[in-house]
This record gives sequence, structure tokens and C-alpha cells, in this order.
Amino acid sequence: MANVTIDNVVKRYGAAEIMHGVNVDIDDGEFVVLVGPSGCGKSTLLRMIAGLEEISSGQIRIGGRVVNDVPPKERDIAMVFQSYALYPHKTVAENMGFPLKMAKRPQAEIDSKVGKAAQILDLSHLLKRYPKQLSGGQRQRVAMGRAIVRDPQVFLFDEPLSNLDAKLRVTMRVEIKELHQRLKTTIIYVTHDQIEAMTMADKIVVMRDGRVEQIGAPLDLYDRPQNVFVAGFIGSPAMNFIHGRIQSQGAALQFVAESGLVLPVPPGSAEEGRAVIYGIRPEDIEIGPGGIPVRVAVIEPMGAETQVFAKVGNDMIDAIVRQRIAARPGDELPFRIDVSKVHLFDRATEKRI
Amino acid sequence: MRSNKLGWMLLAPTLVILGLFGVVPFIYVLWVSFHQWNPFAANPEMIANGADNFRQLVFDTGFLSSLSVTLAFVFFAVTSELILGYALAQAFMKDFPGKAFFRTIHTLPLIMAPIIVGSIWKLMTTPSIGIIPDLLDSWFGYDLNIGQSAVAAFVTTVVMDIWHWTPLVTLSLIAALVALPADPFEQAQIDGASKRQIFWHITLPMIRPAIVATVFIRLMDALRVVDEVLMLTGGGPGSATRYIGVHIFREVFPRTNYGYGSAVSVVVLYITILVCWLLYVGLIAPRNNKA
Ligand SMILES: Nc1ncnc2c1ncn2[C@@H]1O[C@H](COP(=O)(O)OP(=O)(O)OP(=O)(O)O)[C@@H](O)[C@H]1O
Ligand SMILES: [Mg+2]
Repeated sequence: MANVTIDNVVKRYGAAEIMHGVNVDIDDGEFVVLVGPSGCGKSTLLRMIAGLEEISSGQIRIGGRVVNDVPPKERDIAMVFQSYALYPHKTVAENMGFPLKMAKRPQAEIDSKVGKAAQILDLSHLLKRYPKQLSGGQRQRVAMGRAIVRDPQVFLFDEPLSNLDAKLRVTMRVEIKELHQRLKTTIIYVTHDQIEAMTMADKIVVMRDGRVEQIGAPLDLYDRPQNVFVAGFIGSPAMNFIHGRIQSQGAALQFVAESGLVLPVPPGSAEEGRAVIYGIRPEDIEIGPGGIPVRVAVIEPMGAETQVFAKVGNDMIDAIVRQRIAARPGDELPFRIDVSKVHLFDRATEKRI
Repeated sequence: MRSNKLGWMLLAPTLVILGLFGVVPFIYVLWVSFHQWNPFAANPEMIANGADNFRQLVFDTGFLSSLSVTLAFVFFAVTSELILGYALAQAFMKDFPGKAFFRTIHTLPLIMAPIIVGSIWKLMTTPSIGIIPDLLDSWFGYDLNIGQSAVAAFVTTVVMDIWHWTPLVTLSLIAALVALPADPFEQAQIDGASKRQIFWHITLPMIRPAIVATVFIRLMDALRVVDEVLMLTGGGPGSATRYIGVHIFREVFPRTNYGYGSAVSVVVLYITILVCWLLYVGLIAPRNNKA
């Protein structure tokens, strides 16, 4: 168990700088999730922590020790690769037992640990198979198994559940969380999946183009995104953004969109005349009396909830409501916005106001 | 199912050529091996003599000694070529200045005809004019004379074979190493494997098919080495380097003992198959059964 410090880390491939000074502090035993769009450098950061990529400048410390020049095998980390990286010539059991065998543990101990991991991962009946005889999801679970038979200082997971079906993904998510609660080992976990990030993380790191956009607890990021990117990235379906200006209406302030749509803002939130981006999450809009009438474009009933898309000028506004909607496209519905849940961002900097 | 006729038609040329140049001569040699046939003897006819040639072979000390020096030659040559070839292949996987140049010149021996290799080595090892005896003498005070010392002659033929054929091993192992995926090696580092453990547990098993194929090729080639050795030592001194191929040559041409020579060839073929089979059983079969 150890804390991990990523201190102003820069990564260059030749002249191309793909990571521009990343800082993340990870406490001992913390479950940290890295999220960000494809190509933002999540895998690269993970590989630098593992020691598979050189650090161009900056420092990575594991348990207080600077590991910039420590080879992977001496960092005491376990990693699950995005590509599984199974040993093709070894059986499932041999794959999972490999780290223990390298550590020269007795065979009996290896067998029992592998057996236990296989049970958790529902692989017991596949132990004698070779990787090429497995499905993608099964391979992914073998890779997980190879990591969890160990007792490392830090677990690194690179999208370990991306190839599983929805049901297995939920099971594995719970397993990993449970594993974390039991072992209390530091975990750094990369994912594309909103729900994984929100449900598993103690702390989420949102990255974009080799930079950290925001770090915080899942609900922190959800409630107070620091910029438009984070606001749009965290939460599903994504937040609505409407461009416009703040105007005064008597003593109060209001938001006037370019399309002319007028929306409420919290009092004292921004000065008059400021060009802003207005953000409201679909789940913070209700349909009810006193709302702003908007014209419905599409209605998508999903059973428990109904998603309503309304078109206002060029802006599409998306609402998720609990009730069933009888309206048809073209009808008008009153959208009632929860003013306390409105996010305002500066138009130029895209930063939260 | 597709038409079988077309398939056979497409295969026909290959089958005809294979039959004409492979199967027919083999059957002919097999046929001759059961005869006494010396076209320049008093009776030049082929006289069927059953298994007499083979019976004679078993007690032929010349044949048996030639067989044992051949096996020794093959063992030392192929083992060294494999180890050296792997080391070179690994070296060529890294980047160093002049790599392309070295890689090119190191393959040059491969494109030389064995008879030329033999003559070059003869020139280089002839006492008093060759460079090798000269250097050995000035560096180590060792007097290399492959015309007199049986051990020196044997070692020189082995070294010559290594010089000639290591590049082949290097090339095929480079191909195998280049084709290896990177992630198992990264994973192994993370799993705490040392360099040595990675070699034994990951690299070697993953290039095993290439190694086996290379060993097969080298084994079969080394077992039937003739021209280079004939050129370099002529099989001597005594019978120190009289490998099977040389033995057959000496038996068939100067002595025109065709029946007996054919019998030796058949036995050598049998031994080649046997060695390859043993290798197969030892190296490949256990893997396949497990899979
Ligand atoms: N060897 C390399 N040479 C040059 N650029 C590279 C190299 N490896 C990765 N990159 C670049 O680094 C950036 C980050 O890649 P990385 O694999 O870390 O992305 P990622 O966030 O893991 O994406 P994904 O979610 O698709 O897995 C990408 O833009 C990629 O093109
Ligand atoms: Mg990635």
C-alpha cells in the first residue's frame, strides 16, 4: 500500500509533447479514476506510473520514493492492460499464477490463490484453456485475475471492463469495489464509462489533451464542474449548453439566449451584460406548471424515465423526467428549470463563474 | 464443396515435378541399395543381393566411425549456431550505429557456394600461408595444422560450418523476434520477472516454433555436409572429418561401389528422419498435446 504523487509530469515523443505537466496526488488506499476522451493520455500516464514509459520531465513518487528510474519489476505494482497482454503460450492458470511463480512462491500457495481468484472471476472451468480459446471478456477477466492474485502497492487498471457485457460489467464493478474495500490497496483506474467513474471512484481525474481539467470527488465534479469540458464530460446524458448573455430585468437577472429564449439564473450569479454559457443538466429540468413553454422535437420513453428533446432556435434542450408524457412532437411543454442547479460559464474562458 | 478436379489440376505440375525429381530417384536409390553394382568391376551387372549391403554396413567400422563423427559434428555445429545466432539476432534487435551495414555483411557467407567456402577456408588454414595459423601462432603460440591434427581438423570444420550457417539462424530468429507482440514482455516486467526469467518463460516459448524449424533445417543440412569438408580436409587426417556425406562420396566415386553407397544413403536418410522425429517428440509434441 502506498500513496502516489504525480508531480508536474511531462511526456514527449520526439518533438511532440503529449502530456503537459500533470499533477495528481493520490492518497494511500484511494480509488482514483482517470477519465477523458480517447487519446488524452490516460494510458500513457498509467504506463509512466508502471515504468513502461520514460518520464520526460517531472517526478512520479510511489510511497514517497521517486521511481523515475526504477524498473517496473521493482515498483511492486500490478497492472491490467487495455489489450489484456496475456501470455499466449500459457494456460489460464499459468497466466494467473505467473507473478507468484516469478516471486518463487510455493506451488501450493500459487494454486490456492489462483483457485480463489478464478472463483471470484468465474473462470474456474477455464483454468486449463489457452488464451486463444477464450472470448474477449474471458481474457479480460484472466488479466484481472493475474493482477488480483498479487498483493501489490498499487493496482493499475486500463479499461479493464470495456469488453464485458452489461451484466458482467456490473458484477465485476462490484467485485472490484469489494476487492478495494477488502484490500485497501491504492487503485488507479482508467475508464471511458461515466457510471464506472461515478460509482467506483473516491476521486476522479478528468483529463483532456494531456492536461488535467479537474480533480475531485465524483459528486463534486457533478455539482461543481470547473469548466464547460468537465461539465459536458461528467454526467449522462450530457449537460445542456446554451449560449447567450446575462441581462437585468428590473432588480433581478435573467439569461437571454441568442435564440431569444429567456431562462432564470440564480440571483447575483453574474454581472449584467456578460457573455456566458448557460448549463443545465437534463435531470434538473421538470415539466410542470409555471415552466417556460418549449416546442417538443423528440420524445424517448425509456420506461422509468422519459427523455424529451425540445428545439429552441438553434439550441436543443434535453430533459429527463420521471413522469410519462402524452405530448407529441410539435406540441408545447412547459420546462421548469431548477434555478439552484444552473451552471454558468464564461463564454471566452469556458470557466465556471 | 468446391470442385476437386480443379484442385488436382492446379496441384498437378508440382506433383509431377516432385515425383520426377524426388520420389523416383529415391525409389531408384532404394532399389540400387539391394543390389551389388559396380559398373567397372569384372561383372558390371546389377546383381540382387538382398539385404547384404545393409548387413555389411552394420559391421563396417569405416561407416560406424563416420556416423559418430558426423553426429558429433552436427551437435557442436548446430548448437553453437543456435546460441550464436540467437545472440546476434538479439543484438540486431537493438539500434546501434552501422546496424544496417553489419546486418548486410553478416549474411554474406550465406550466399556463397559451399565449394567456395571450402576453398576460402582451405586458403586461410593452410600452414605457413593461411592467416589463421599465422594469427594463432603469433597470439597464442598455437600451431594449427589441420593436415596433421585430427582435433584441429574437426574443430576447423565445425567453425567453418558455424561461420557459413549462423547467419541463417540469425535471420530466421530476427524474423521471429520482430514478429513478437510487445505487451507480454511489458506485462512480464510488471509481474516481476527478471531478464533471465523473461528469457526462459516468455521469449523462448514464444519463438519456439521458429527455433524448431531452424534447428530442423540446420540439422538436415549439417547431416549431409559434403563439399565444404571435402574441399577443406578431404575427410582427413585419417578419417577424422570423414562425415557421412564424404564417406558416401569416397565410397561411390573412386571405388564405383554404387550398391553399397546407395545403402549408406538410405541409412543416413533413416537416421535423419529418426533424429528429426526425436526432436519433434521432445520439443513439439508435448506442447501440442497440452494445447
Ligand atoms: N509511441 C508514440 N509516439 C507518439 N505518440 C504517441 C505514442 N503513443 C501514444 N501517443 C499519443 O499519445 C496520446 C495519448 O495516448 P494514450 O494511449 O495515452 O491515450 P488514451 O487516453 O489511453 O486513449 P484511449 O482512451 O483511446 O485508450 C495520443 O494522442 C497518442 O497518439
Ligand atoms: Mg488507453
